[in-house]
Amino acid sequence: MNFDLGPDQRAAAAGAREFYRGSASAAAARAALDGGAVEPGHAALAGIGFLGITVPESAGGAGSSVLDLAVVAEQGGAVLAGPSLATAARAAVLLADHPGLAARLADGSARFAVLDGAVTGSAPSVDAAGATLFLGLDGGDLVVGEGEAEPGRPIDATRGLASVRLTSREVLAGDAGELWARARRVAAVVLAAEDLGAADRAVALAVDYAREREAFGRRIGSYQAVKHLLVDAWVGVDQLRSLVWWAAWAADAAPGELPLAAAAAKAYAAEAFERAAETCIQVHGGIGFTWEHDAHLYWRRAKVDRLLLGDAAEHLDAVARLAVAGALG
Amino acid sequence: MDFDDSPEEAAYRASVRARLAEHAGELVHAGHGEEAVDPGTHQAQFRHTQRVLAEAGLVGVTWPREYGGQGGTVVQQAIVAQELARARVPVLINHIGLGMCGPTVIAHGSQDQRDRYLSRLLRADDVWCQLFSEPASGSDLAALRTTAVRDGADWVVNGQKVWTTLAHVADLGILLARTDPDRPKHAGLTMFVVDLHAPGVTVRPLRQMVGSAGFNEVFFDDVRVPDAERLGEPGEGWRVALTTLMNERVAIGGAGGDLGVPVETLAAHARERLPALDAERQVLARQAVGRAVVAALAARYTGYRRFTVLSHGGLPGPEASAGKLAGTAAARLVADAGVRLLGDDAVYAATADGDDTWQRSQGYLPGLAIAGGTDQVLRNILGERVLGLPPEPRTDKTAPFAGGRR
Repeated sequence: MNFDLGPDQRAAAAGAREFYRGSASAAAARAALDGGAVEPGHAALAGIGFLGITVPESAGGAGSSVLDLAVVAEQGGAVLAGPSLATAARAAVLLADHPGLAARLADGSARFAVLDGAVTGSAPSVDAAGATLFLGLDGGDLVVGEGEAEPGRPIDATRGLASVRLTSREVLAGDAGELWARARRVAAVVLAAEDLGAADRAVALAVDYAREREAFGRRIGSYQAVKHLLVDAWVGVDQLRSLVWWAAWAADAAPGELPLAAAAAKAYAAEAFERAAETCIQVHGGIGFTWEHDAHLYWRRAKVDRLLLGDAAEHLDAVARLAVAGALG
Repeated sequence: MDFDDSPEEAAYRASVRARLAEHAGELVHAGHGEEAVDPGTHQAQFRHTQRVLAEAGLVGVTWPREYGGQGGTVVQQAIVAQELARARVPVLINHIGLGMCGPTVIAHGSQDQRDRYLSRLLRADDVWCQLFSEPASGSDLAALRTTAVRDGADWVVNGQKVWTTLAHVADLGILLARTDPDRPKHAGLTMFVVDLHAPGVTVRPLRQMVGSAGFNEVFFDDVRVPDAERLGEPGEGWRVALTTLMNERVAIGGAGGDLGVPVETLAAHARERLPALDAERQVLARQAVGRAVVAALAARYTGYRRFTVLSHGGLPGPEASAGKLAGTAAARLVADAGVRLLGDDAVYAATADGDDTWQRSQGYLPGLAIAGGTDQVLRNILGERVLGLPPEPRTDKTAPFAGGRR
C-alpha cells in the first residue's frame, strides 16, 4: 500500500499553488459579487493547460489522471478560483470519443459547460454563465449545442451558475446514461477537491487569527472552547483529504470503486467545508461578519458547493444503497 | 498511489494465511457477533492462542529478533493484524503488553529486563497491564499520588490504581509512581515493572456500565519492588510514560483499523434489516447508514495515509490523536445506525434471537471516548501540537507537587 501523492503530484501541486496565488484571490471573489471578472478566468486556465489535464495527449491535452487534476483543483479551491476544474473534468469524460471537441476544450477555443437537468431549461449549472458550448443529456442522448444562459443573482459569484435553454443541439452519442453518470461522479470528486482546498484555507485563516487575537487577557486560541472548534474543523479537512484522494485515484485506477468513493467524498466535502467556513466566521467574531473580511467568501462557496452535483442527503443515500448492494466487499 | 500488496507483501500474506490455517484448531475464534470473548473467563485458551501464534512467528512482528520478535516491518505487522481479523481471532490477551508495555521496555528497559521479559511477553507466559490512572488522576496523569519510597535495594509502593485493563489476569505491569514529591509534578515520577502476584497487591475487578468486568482497581500496600525493576532513571518516569502513551494512541485507531463494529458488518446488517422497516423509516435509516459508512471510510483511509508514512520509516506524530478522535466518532455513527436498523427491537439489550452486537457496541463507545486520551484531551493535543495554538495557562507545572496545588 502506498496512499500518498507521488513526487510528480507534489510538484504539480506546488506549481498550481504558485499559479493560483498569483492569479486569483478571495478579493477577486468579492469583486465578482459586484460584477467583477471571475479570476483567473477561462483564458488563463486554458493558457496554463489546466482545462486539458485529463484530455488525451492526442487531443492536445496532458493525458493525466483525475488524481493529477484533483491536486491542482485543491489549490484553485484555496483561493476560490473560477471557472471550476470540475467542469473541465466532466466535459473531458463526456468528450472522450470526440477528439475534435476535446481539443477545443483543452485549448480553450470553446468554453464548455455541462448542464444539469433538462436541456430545454436546465437547473442552475456550474460555469454556464460564460460558456459558449453546452453539453447535456437529452432523453438518453449526449448532446452538444449553443444556448441562452440566464444567470440568477449569485450567492457565490465564482461558480458562474446559470440556467440554460439550448438553441441548437447535435447528438454526440446515444444511450449515454452510464457515460453521463461517470462524468458527474468525476466532477463531484473534483468539486470535492476544490472544497478541500477552500476548507483547508478557511481553517488556516481561523487558526492564524486565534493565535494572535487576545481577549480576557490571553490569546483566544488558548481557550478550549475555541481550540476544540478549530480542531474539529481541522479533523474534518484531514479526513476529507483522504476521501478525495481515494475517490480521485479510483476514477482511473479502480472504476468499480468510483460510485462509492465519489459519493462519500462529495457528501463529506459538503459538511466538512461548511463546518470549516462557519468556524472561520465564528472564531473571527464581528470582523468575520463584515464584507471586507474574506471569511464570508469561503462561507458563500461552501453554501453553494454543498448543493451542486447532488447534496449530502443524495450522496449519503447513494452510499447506503451501494453499501447494502455489496460495494464494501 | 496504490492499495495493493507488492509481490513480497503478497507472498508474506500468503505465508501468514497458511500458518493461520495450519494452526486453526489451536486458536480461539470469535463467532459472528461475539467479537468480545472475555479473556477473564477463557484465560487459558487465550494464553494458549497467543503462544501458538508466537511460535508461528505471528506475534511481535516488528520487534527485534534478539527479544523473540521477527525483526519485520510495520507493513508485515499490519498484514498479520488484517489476517488475524479475517480469521476471526479475537484481540490477543497480551494486547496491552504488545502495544504499550513491551515497546516501553524495549525503549527504556535495562538489558537484563529486556532479556527476562520480552520473549515471555510475546508468548503470553506473562500477561501485562498498564498501571497509570488513579482515582484522582485520569487525564491529569502526572498528578498521580501512588508513592514509591527507596528502602535499601528496594522501593516500597503504596497507593491505588484504577481502570486497569487486564489486571485481573495479569502477571506483570508497568507502574508509574511518585518518587519525589518535592519536585514539580512531572519531574518527580519514576516507572517500574511490578509483579502483580507480589505480597501487598490486591486486584479488584470493576463492573463496567455495560455489565462486564474488563477493568480493575489495584491496591498497593507496602509492596516491595527491587530497584532492578526500575524502568529508566528516577525522576524520568514522565518521559518513559510518554513512550507508552504515544504507542497507545497509535495502537488505538492509528493505522486504518475500524474502532467498534466493522462497517462491512453494518452493511450486512442493513441488507438484512432495511426491508423490514416501513418505507419512510427506510429513507431515514439509509441516511444514518450512509453517514456512518462515510465517516468510517474517511477514518479508515486517513489511517491508510498515516500508515503509509509509518511504512516509509516516519515516526508516529501527534496526528495519531486525530485517528482516535475521528475513529471514535465514526464508531458512534456506525453503532447508532446499527441500533436504528433494529426497529422495535432497538429498545432491548438483545434481539429475540439473542444478538447483542449493536447494543454491546453502543454501550462500549462512551468508554472508548475516554480510554487512552479523552476526546477533549486529544483535541488539546491536536490544537497545541498540530495547529500550534497556545496552551491554557497552567499553575501546576513548576511548583513542587507536595506544595499544595495538586
